[in-house]
Amino acid sequence: MSVFLDDRPKPIRSLSRFLAFALIVIVGVSGLTARLFYLQIVDGGRPTTLSARNRTVIDAIRSPRGVIYDREGRALVTNVPTFVVKLRPSDMPLDQRPVVVDRLAALLGMTAAEINAIIDGNPGSTFDLVRIAGDVDRLTAQLISEAGADLPGVEVAVEARREYADGPLMSQILGYSAPISGDQLKTLKDAGYLPDDLIGKVGIEAEYETLLRGVYGSESVERDASGRRSQVLQTIAEARPGDSLTLSIDTKEQQYAQKAMLWAMKEVGIKRGVVIVMNPQTGEVLALVSLPSYDNNIFARGISNADYAKLLKNPDKPLLNHAIQAHYPPGSTYKLVAGTGVLADKKITSKTKVQTKGYLTLGSTKFYDWNHRGFGACDIYCGFGHSSDTFFFQMAGKLGIDRLGYWAKQYGFGKPTGIDLPGEVAGIVPTNEWKQDVLGSPVFPGETYQAGIGQGYDVVTPIQLINAYAALANGGTVYQPQIVRDVVGPDGTIVRPFKPKVLQKMAVPSSVLSIMRNAARSTVTLRHTYNLVDLPIKVAGKSGTAEFGTRDRKGRLPFHSWFVGFVPKDVRHGSFDGTDSQLIVLAFAYDSRTKGNVATEIVKYYLQQHFGIKKDYRLPNLLKRGNFYQSN
Amino acid sequence: MGVIRAQPARVTDWAAKSVGAAWRAFDLQLTTYAGLLVAIGLVMAYTNSVESGSMPLEAGTTFSRGLMWAAIAVVVFVLATAFDYHWLKTLAWPIYALQLGLLILTLAIGDGIGGSARWVSVGPLTFQFSEIAKILMIIVLASYLASREGRLDSLASILGACLLVGPPLVLVMLQPDLGTSLVFGAILAGMLWMSGASLRWLAVLAVGVMAMVPVAWTYLLHDYQKARLISFLDANPDIQGAGYQLYQAQIAVGSGGFVGKGLTNGTQTQGDFLPVQATDFVFATLAEELGFIGGIVLFILFVLLIWRVLVAGWRSRDAFGTLFAAGVASMIMFQLVVNVGMVLGVMPITGIPLPFVTHGGASLVSMAAGLGILQSINIRQTKAAW
Repeated sequence: MSVFLDDRPKPIRSLSRFLAFALIVIVGVSGLTARLFYLQIVDGGRPTTLSARNRTVIDAIRSPRGVIYDREGRALVTNVPTFVVKLRPSDMPLDQRPVVVDRLAALLGMTAAEINAIIDGNPGSTFDLVRIAGDVDRLTAQLISEAGADLPGVEVAVEARREYADGPLMSQILGYSAPISGDQLKTLKDAGYLPDDLIGKVGIEAEYETLLRGVYGSESVERDASGRRSQVLQTIAEARPGDSLTLSIDTKEQQYAQKAMLWAMKEVGIKRGVVIVMNPQTGEVLALVSLPSYDNNIFARGISNADYAKLLKNPDKPLLNHAIQAHYPPGSTYKLVAGTGVLADKKITSKTKVQTKGYLTLGSTKFYDWNHRGFGACDIYCGFGHSSDTFFFQMAGKLGIDRLGYWAKQYGFGKPTGIDLPGEVAGIVPTNEWKQDVLGSPVFPGETYQAGIGQGYDVVTPIQLINAYAALANGGTVYQPQIVRDVVGPDGTIVRPFKPKVLQKMAVPSSVLSIMRNAARSTVTLRHTYNLVDLPIKVAGKSGTAEFGTRDRKGRLPFHSWFVGFVPKDVRHGSFDGTDSQLIVLAFAYDSRTKGNVATEIVKYYLQQHFGIKKDYRLPNLLKRGNFYQSN
Repeated sequence: MGVIRAQPARVTDWAAKSVGAAWRAFDLQLTTYAGLLVAIGLVMAYTNSVESGSMPLEAGTTFSRGLMWAAIAVVVFVLATAFDYHWLKTLAWPIYALQLGLLILTLAIGDGIGGSARWVSVGPLTFQFSEIAKILMIIVLASYLASREGRLDSLASILGACLLVGPPLVLVMLQPDLGTSLVFGAILAGMLWMSGASLRWLAVLAVGVMAMVPVAWTYLLHDYQKARLISFLDANPDIQGAGYQLYQAQIAVGSGGFVGKGLTNGTQTQGDFLPVQATDFVFATLAEELGFIGGIVLFILFVLLIWRVLVAGWRSRDAFGTLFAAGVASMIMFQLVVNVGMVLGVMPITGIPLPFVTHGGASLVSMAAGLGILQSINIRQTKAAW
């Protein structure tokens, strides 16, 4: 170490480098000072003048959800203010949590475990509000609001809830909006959904979610010490209210249709049924009833687990829209396909007569007509009008399964119609290829027979069936059924006016469809549908009785009843040579077990109401319990 | 150990002088400024402890842990002052090995948030070895550059220094701790500058680093790092996401005003809006509660401290002392600007602590060691330059 004193090396220090370094320090710290001065003094007045103990958070500005009207402009759903209790976990000190949760539970009439489960199940961060309870009554809301200091992190908000004017009448169409689930939030968080958000879950509310919701804005909000909003500081982005919708549904028609169905349900004890009313010229749906239904207001208020379990357990599936979300064998209504096919493929003409019998024999199997005596020599009007099974066994045989499938698809069967409701199913149109794929064997001739009368592998949704007959009525255009007519912007202007959507034009001569319309008229005139011909209006249509399930002790099968009918524009004097029909109605009665065709009676009752026919043509004695096939 | 052997040597060397002369060479100012900064840090820890609702002196609070670390720092400082810094040159290579060992250990057994490995648990304490690695890096670099005295303006010296810094820098980056690796870069730059390295080669080096930036951006940085780095440039920041801390910090700073809201009254900090208020965003708490005045006082203390560090370097008669002081000054300066700049929204978000103030044991202890070594340098010069 002594060397160190004597033999000291020349220092490497350089004054200029030291000064340069010092300069950098001065410049750097001056920059920081300037910035601090700007933030705290120049720009700082803004937050401080507000309140020393207030804090700022960014909140979403919820956009008012669009309203839904029927075609006459009647509001079907409105937004009503409701008290909602929410909690921001980050504002609730952890050690106080048990106390806060207990107090809240007592006030809301819930258990602490329920509330804890909600808080812990919160999919967002601890800075996000968690929705604890909705539709809280005013008194409770007030109590919680006033107990603010004892309930840190708890907020009472006034939020809009959906109020459905008609409950079960429209719930199968409208669906409902309800609090978003954790799984939905995961995928929708980036789209701006909040953990305590509402979202359209089913029906029109779900189908048109994006339009109805609008676009949320955001604002910075000052909150007081207990976490409640005290003042809006700045609007960062305005909210854009959701669009409103005008439906093609007419409440009056919907009520007629529901009334007709409910009458049959009461009279016969049917558990499920569908009535659909459409305009064949546009694809507009005027009424769509699927029973049993449910009250969508229960969901909008926040359904209890017990109530939800009850709905799920109901064997008649009230949450399912049977008009679009389930498919059934079409029965004789499907004879439209075979009839159109043999005429278009020129297997027969309108004058060709075919021998009908009590049964046909194929190999060792007898294929019975529903009328065990047969109808003798029949042309298409006779065969379709009497709904002769042996006639159509032969027609199906002439066509073969693949041509039958081709014509079914021409009518739009076998794929969803694209109606603007979620969850539509496709139905099945059997062909050789289909059966090979699904069941591993080609179609047997007997199965082709069965397919010709709608009793084979073919299944259809009620909406597909009415849409097919609508194409018959309008001269061969298959439209996409539409529930929503117009989309109306927040300012009341129509942003998307109604436009019929053509799915396909049928590749069929108009003369063939004219024959089939008149054949459908003969169903009525030949009194296959009893006294429907006596009504002061002209109806054409087709009934169907579709067996399903397993035989009872007497070897009888349960069956569904179908009827689909349409009227010319001039309902009293019009003709079915024309294609001007403005109204088509379908009724479907699940497991009907009556002597007559209950669906025909339902359509009849609907038409009586629609056209204001005073005289009652209904035939209650035909609805006595019995078996259609056995009684004939 | 060095401490025991160095002590008598000093006394004998300076036999002619009084012990008082050594004491006079001890830079009281340097220690005072650092002490005041630590005190501010403790006050911030106190206010945070109060605001989180616990008694400040309870075991385990930010404040009580801060007190404990401050005590440890004092001991380390005294030991480092007593230790003859000349030994450090001898021990340079073992120290380098120790530094690399600590960083590798961190990667191997470290814990961190979101898959990173930054903290090592030693009993009840967690330790961020990368903080210690910074001081060790300065020692190693100073030794190396001092050993090349006379050839310091050659390219070889610069490259040698870069090669020394490379491995620890990469190890820190792998943790991944982008901020600390940048501190390594700043230390290297400051020390090369003070070593009198050729301006031409330094310029080449600077251009080279610039050219590397796009490459690093594309291939080396994680997406979250990029998001944090650029969030301060964003005019409409994602205030619920990467820009959240920044937005809340700016509200805290802005609401402080000229004199602040008073200690323990910061509502931003009280509301836990600042997720890392006790550590990286401590300046936001200070600015909110002590206002512009508090911020200026802090800046002045830092400027005075850096000045005294530079003075120690200037007074050093050997290159090691000058270079060591340059390293410490660069580190303090860089961390001050980046940390405070981050809170003020003019620097990217990186996890760099504010020296002395940030609550964090390793940072404080390594700073104490650094200042102790500086004092050791101060009192072991026979003649003060000024």
